[in-house]
Amino acid sequence: MKQFLQRSVVYVLIVSLLGLASPAVVQAEIIGTLAGLDAAQREANLAKINSVLAREQVRDQMRALGVDEAAVEARLAALTNAELERLAQEIESAPAGGVLEVIGIVFVVLLILEAVGVIDIFKKFP
Amino acid sequence: MIGLRTALYGIVIVALTLMSGCATIPPELDSPATAHLPRRVELSSTPFYPQQAYQCGPAALATVLQVAKVDATPEELTPEVFLPGRKGSLALELVAATRARDRLAYPLDPSPRALLEELAAGRPVLVMQNVALKIAPTWHFAVVIGYDLDERTVTLRSGTVERLVMSLRGFMRTWDLADRWAMVVLEPDELPSNPVLDKYLKAAAELEATGRLQAAARAYTRAHEHWPASPWPALGIANVAYAQGDRATAERGYRTALALDPGHVVANHNLAEVLLARGCVTEARAYAQRALDGAIGTPLEQTVRATADKIARTTQPDTCLERSP
Repeated sequence: MKQFLQRSVVYVLIVSLLGLASPAVVQAEIIGTLAGLDAAQREANLAKINSVLAREQVRDQMRALGVDEAAVEARLAALTNAELERLAQEIESAPAGGVLEVIGIVFVVLLILEAVGVIDIFKKFP
Repeated sequence: MIGLRTALYGIVIVALTLMSGCATIPPELDSPATAHLPRRVELSSTPFYPQQAYQCGPAALATVLQVAKVDATPEELTPEVFLPGRKGSLALELVAATRARDRLAYPLDPSPRALLEELAAGRPVLVMQNVALKIAPTWHFAVVIGYDLDERTVTLRSGTVERLVMSLRGFMRTWDLADRWAMVVLEPDELPSNPVLDKYLKAAAELEATGRLQAAARAYTRAHEHWPASPWPALGIANVAYAQGDRATAERGYRTALALDPGHVVANHNLAEVLLARGCVTEARAYAQRALDGAIGTPLEQTVRATADKIARTTQPDTCLERSP
């Protein structure tokens, strides 16, 4: 049993190392339009180099943020490499539109009141 | 409880008094700039999904998707765009979920004029707002469905309010604080009001890069019609065809792109690959060399050089029978 486990671990490691190695081999295939546009706009194409890593990171972050396991892979698949890269950096800090939290609700109420002319707070600050 | 509410209200009032007057009426909306627009628009047939809990992202996205003829509900979008740990959704994932439904997520110019023009064209606009303070932001997604230039108001589907009328000034403040993020959802062969080639191409290329090939092809075809001088739409059509295994269409597309821009690195490179696969070694070599000449010093240099080397070294005989398939 122990030997079987050790062997499995070794196989898994080999396979995952192969997976890591493959992006370094320059693929003999066409250049995608997005990669071409990025290059033309001189956005250094770091995304290509780090997309494997970024995908791993975002996967972990999404799980940690409570995204349903079944949805994680589909969400990753919907992102471009550049977006994965950005998300890996910003998933914790980028603006997340969500609530009308209490303060927000109060603010919106004030705006409504202002809009319909009940109050006139904003116009006092030209 | 009353104490808390009073305290919060007090905080808001204090906060409001601390705000500087950044919310003047945008000069872009002076009469000459808006002379071509109707004075008043309201897209009242826009559906309304009252937001559940923290889910203004899914609700707002469902609203604009429905208008672009996608039958999506907030409930089914939630697992795709909501981040429970952030109690909200990121703009980037709203874009991704739009693409995943074969629609083009087109980012608007950050100007009120662009917003109004989309509304005048009948498209509601998904916007991000910061409805609180710069230092203590509360991010919110809503859908602008109308405006009134005389009353100086905009109308939104927002949160649990079906028809929120805001003063233009108040709206601009919340929109400014969210860096004026806004997008429209387009059918893949639909153009926005003032289409910008780079932005439209990028949105189409993102469809391609995420495997939405047919939608990407429709967008590229539309772009090719609208910007006939740009080589990129033809390149895009060719790349989609290649990904679908249609080498003949791909080859034609690359040649079309090269007719528009003979030095186009990506078109030269990809044509070389297609020609090599067809056995046209000599011709492939020439295109690979031309691609390499243009690629030196660019981020594509490594990829192009590898292809050029591979074609230079190949021992495959030239079995090219005709110039085009």
